Amino acid sequence: MNTSLKDRVTAWAFMAPALLVLGVFGLFPIGYAFFVSLHHWRVKRGPFVGFEHYHRALGDPLYIALFVLSLGLFCAVRYWVKGKSLWLRVTRIGLEVATLFAAGAGLLGVIGSGDSRLFDAFKVTAFYAVCAIPAEVAISMILAYLLFKALSGKGFFRVLFFLPYVTPMIATAVAFRIIFSPHPSSLANQIGGVFGLGSQGWLFESRSVVSLVLQAFDITQYPAWIDAAFPSMALVSVVLYNIWVYVGYDTVILLAGFSAIPPHYYEAAAIDGATAAQSFRHITLPLISPALFFISLIAVIGTFKAFNHIYIMRTPGARDSVDVVSVAIFDQIYLFHNLAYAAALSLILFAVILGLTFVQNRVLGRKVFYGD
Amino acid sequence: MVLLRCFLGCCALLQGLAGCAPETVEVVPEIDLEAVDPSGAEVVFWYQHTTTREEALLGMIDEFNRTNPHQITVRGEFSGKYSSIYNKMMVSLQAGTLPDLLVAYQNQAVVYHLADGLVDLAPYMSSARWGLSAQARADYIKAFLDQDFIDGAQICFPPNRSVEILYYNMDWLEELGHDRPPRTWDEFAQMCRAARDQPFSLSRNPEYSQGFIFEADASRLATMVFSRGGDLMDPEGTAYTFAAGQVREAMVLMQQLTSEGAAGLLSEPYGDQKAFAVGQVLFAMRSSSGMPFVNSAVNEDGIGFRWNVAAPPQSGDRPVVNVYGASVSVCRTTPQRQLAAWLFIKWFTEPEQQARWVRASNYFPARRSTARELDSYFAENPRYRIVYDLLDYGKSEPSVPGYQAVRRLIEEAMVEVAQGGDIDGILPRLEREANATLEEF
Amino acid sequence: MVTDTAEGAGTGRGSRADGPAAETEDARGSIADTAAQRAAKRRLAAFLTYGGLVVAAVAASFPFVWMLFTSFMTRGETLRYVVVPASVEWRNYVRAWSEANFALYFSNSLLIAAVQVGGTLLFSLMAAYPLARMQFRGRETIFLIILATLMVPETATMVPNFLTVAWLHSHSPIPWLNSWPALTVPFMASAFSIFLLRQFMRGLPGELWDAARLDGAGHVRFLFQIALPLCRAPLLTVGMFTFIGSWNALGWPLLVTSTQTWRPISVALLRFVEEAGAETQLQMAGAVIATLPVLLLYALIQKEFTAGISVSGMKG
Repeated sequence: MNTSLKDRVTAWAFMAPALLVLGVFGLFPIGYAFFVSLHHWRVKRGPFVGFEHYHRALGDPLYIALFVLSLGLFCAVRYWVKGKSLWLRVTRIGLEVATLFAAGAGLLGVIGSGDSRLFDAFKVTAFYAVCAIPAEVAISMILAYLLFKALSGKGFFRVLFFLPYVTPMIATAVAFRIIFSPHPSSLANQIGGVFGLGSQGWLFESRSVVSLVLQAFDITQYPAWIDAAFPSMALVSVVLYNIWVYVGYDTVILLAGFSAIPPHYYEAAAIDGATAAQSFRHITLPLISPALFFISLIAVIGTFKAFNHIYIMRTPGARDSVDVVSVAIFDQIYLFHNLAYAAALSLILFAVILGLTFVQNRVLGRKVFYGD
Repeated sequence: MVLLRCFLGCCALLQGLAGCAPETVEVVPEIDLEAVDPSGAEVVFWYQHTTTREEALLGMIDEFNRTNPHQITVRGEFSGKYSSIYNKMMVSLQAGTLPDLLVAYQNQAVVYHLADGLVDLAPYMSSARWGLSAQARADYIKAFLDQDFIDGAQICFPPNRSVEILYYNMDWLEELGHDRPPRTWDEFAQMCRAARDQPFSLSRNPEYSQGFIFEADASRLATMVFSRGGDLMDPEGTAYTFAAGQVREAMVLMQQLTSEGAAGLLSEPYGDQKAFAVGQVLFAMRSSSGMPFVNSAVNEDGIGFRWNVAAPPQSGDRPVVNVYGASVSVCRTTPQRQLAAWLFIKWFTEPEQQARWVRASNYFPARRSTARELDSYFAENPRYRIVYDLLDYGKSEPSVPGYQAVRRLIEEAMVEVAQGGDIDGILPRLEREANATLEEF
Repeated sequence: MVTDTAEGAGTGRGSRADGPAAETEDARGSIADTAAQRAAKRRLAAFLTYGGLVVAAVAASFPFVWMLFTSFMTRGETLRYVVVPASVEWRNYVRAWSEANFALYFSNSLLIAAVQVGGTLLFSLMAAYPLARMQFRGRETIFLIILATLMVPETATMVPNFLTVAWLHSHSPIPWLNSWPALTVPFMASAFSIFLLRQFMRGLPGELWDAARLDGAGHVRFLFQIALPLCRAPLLTVGMFTFIGSWNALGWPLLVTSTQTWRPISVALLRFVEEAGAETQLQMAGAVIATLPVLLLYALIQKEFTAGISVSGMKG
């Protein structure tokens, strides 16, 4: 498109202030972090060490290369091998599977030879995301739908649901820390008692929820990996907090999405004899999909970046079962004084978030319905 | 594509600029201390004191500003708890925006010192014009000064100290048939078990009754280990000694008592003090600076029992107690401000000021002659006197870099032990991991 | 529009004016369903709807109820884990207010938020306009780069930004550290706001622009005289989110303020909570005080706020 020079200048001029701020305070840190991560850097700058910190974090470069190259090949196959013929399709699927396997092997190698503390932190972060996001999105969908159907009291409920998000995190996190304390008469235990649940460790409990369930059934002998393979009760308590805070935010956004659906669609469907379930599936869901996609994207980014509340709710009893990657990075800076390693980890985290967003955009973004 | 290249180019440029940015302050050439003139200097002081202590401190700063002969102005800034101050310093060291004076624990000061952020106070102390007289020098409790002398430099200076002591519920103890606090750890264990079986008569929640609440904290472990004649590190300070006998004994006792229900594990901040104040727990082991809180909590909230303090149970004939406390450090700024900061510290630790500070803060003084000014205070506060007499038997925790991280490792190990872990596996592992941190520095 | 006349959903207050007030009839089944059956179904639906909402409301609010109750307790009651206080201790609020000097911190937070919201609205609007309505090379790339800034973890940005601000502080005529510039400027452009505004502006009809062109209006006039008034709703949304973010921001203000001159209320609350460590009732009183303003603000503008989100169109 031919745009006049004047127009182009205007465009950049308009964007200039925002770009300046974002560039200096949003992008420069990435460059700076990269610079720091290439040195030995305690509190003062030390000698240049190249990619040593990345080696420490990610392990053998061979595996890293394998992982990255396989993923690249996978994308290439996806992008270039197109065609309808059976032969092409079989080849494509075969290649995709092969490259995914190779990537998987590379990833396993990285995890095995890299920093185990880092990958434990990623594991905890993954638990956190997997437990929090689907629950959060599902609950807010239901609530938004209910709120949409309700005739009166909408405003009241909206304020109430949004309350957790609006309150300063320091206040709510401290409150939750006290409510979910393992003391037998903490609020959580008192409520649990009403439901027949014995006194629990909550934020102080580092054993996994599955182990606790097994214990409840008097099974005390179980393989050690059960504790490692499932989120701890402390993490689940933090997840509960996360859901509590963000459901209101998601609900408000989804509700707005619901409200924007023109009602004549439903009327038309009703005239055609559609059931409630059918109109939900064919009208509501597609038209709400942009909002749904938006909140799930924000949720993924937010969960991987999460720090403040987790740090406040960390107890010695949880050991390291709530240490997500951001917390591990924080510890590197303030406990181990290793700024360079922390910078390297931050960049790795950034790359992971970028990758996840990209994948999410590709996979789920396709399903979003943008018509109107 | 072009844009991408532009962006990467900008990044590279910025990185280059970042590289050019000054690092922390260069090493200052030797200055002639006697010739420095501190007149009119302004000193920024970061502290962590709150409420009444802060008020008292600010009042004293005010008085100094008014009365000092050099028109030095000290500006006190509350900067958060110890850990917040530490976090801020870490960032400030890189940006070069240091305060002039700040409160720091020894192991924190060591980190600052490694980054050339602090000034060695020894020359100031021995300066002919500005320093301490020989008499004054001797007046300071030597152990405190030594604690702050690390790596060949006096990197901090002690304005006050606290002692970790045992709080005990006298009335309950009498109900259990004892007339004095436990002298040995065996007696302690017996009394804890008795407390578990016989709740305090005045407690409103007799179903929660225990002897003690262990906190997973390095200082608590240190106290228990010191009292058994042991230490956390070897005498040269080169390696951690967690697999040693005394540490093991302390851990075993903790595990035993918690598994028997005679003791619990701390699960929320200040939980043990709170439980002690309402008569649910017989003993508490805490810093002496917690005495005012316990006092008001016990008396104001209705239960009102008699309580007292004592040295923690001991193994030897001479008591050994954990004496700690944050010191103050002077940052490397300008010679004038450094000197001004030192003059403030010197004034602050004079006996008259110390006495005033003691009354307001309930901390313990670093100079012996302060006791002369405190006769009435001792009379009014017999508990304070009890602890004061323990100051000479103090021992301190490690002040090596990386101790911060080791504290965290200790916490996790203690939780593991209290929840029934294998002590003989946990302790060697702890020692290994702790020694690994030493290598990083 | 079909209005619902079932007794189950109606509460006698009539339908509210916000949003589509209609609930379409459940059209399951044929006209052969009796009116009674339909009414019963509507009652059941209403019961489930309100039941679900009430359960959710209780879950959302019980920590606040606890916070509120605790803030009214005496210390003794908190020590004994009492659930409901015996009497209302207003003293806690008085103490919290005076000890923590909340009045000063309130006004600080308000000022900081105002500046940040103003800056964000202006810069984001200006940036979103070319991204939405103008064609130029690199448009999509720039947009993606802007979005990428959303994903940078806080731990990576804290130290470099502090270095930048410290450098600016020593090289600029106005102070940055311990003052409003450091607290507001780094956040004056937000990828999130740019994204929302861009989405909205893409939805504006193209004829608007053509008509303005014919009238001889340039981009600046178009943006500020025509587009801006139309963007009221998303601007309000962006403003609200920015306000909340600014009011509750903790890590950064903690780092850049050491004196109390510009200390915002979040930092004051943190300090207060740490100070009052063993006195839960005071902590909670402080927390309630710090929450009220934002809550009030949200309650006041929530209708427009919701409308703003919806019309900014979470569409493509």
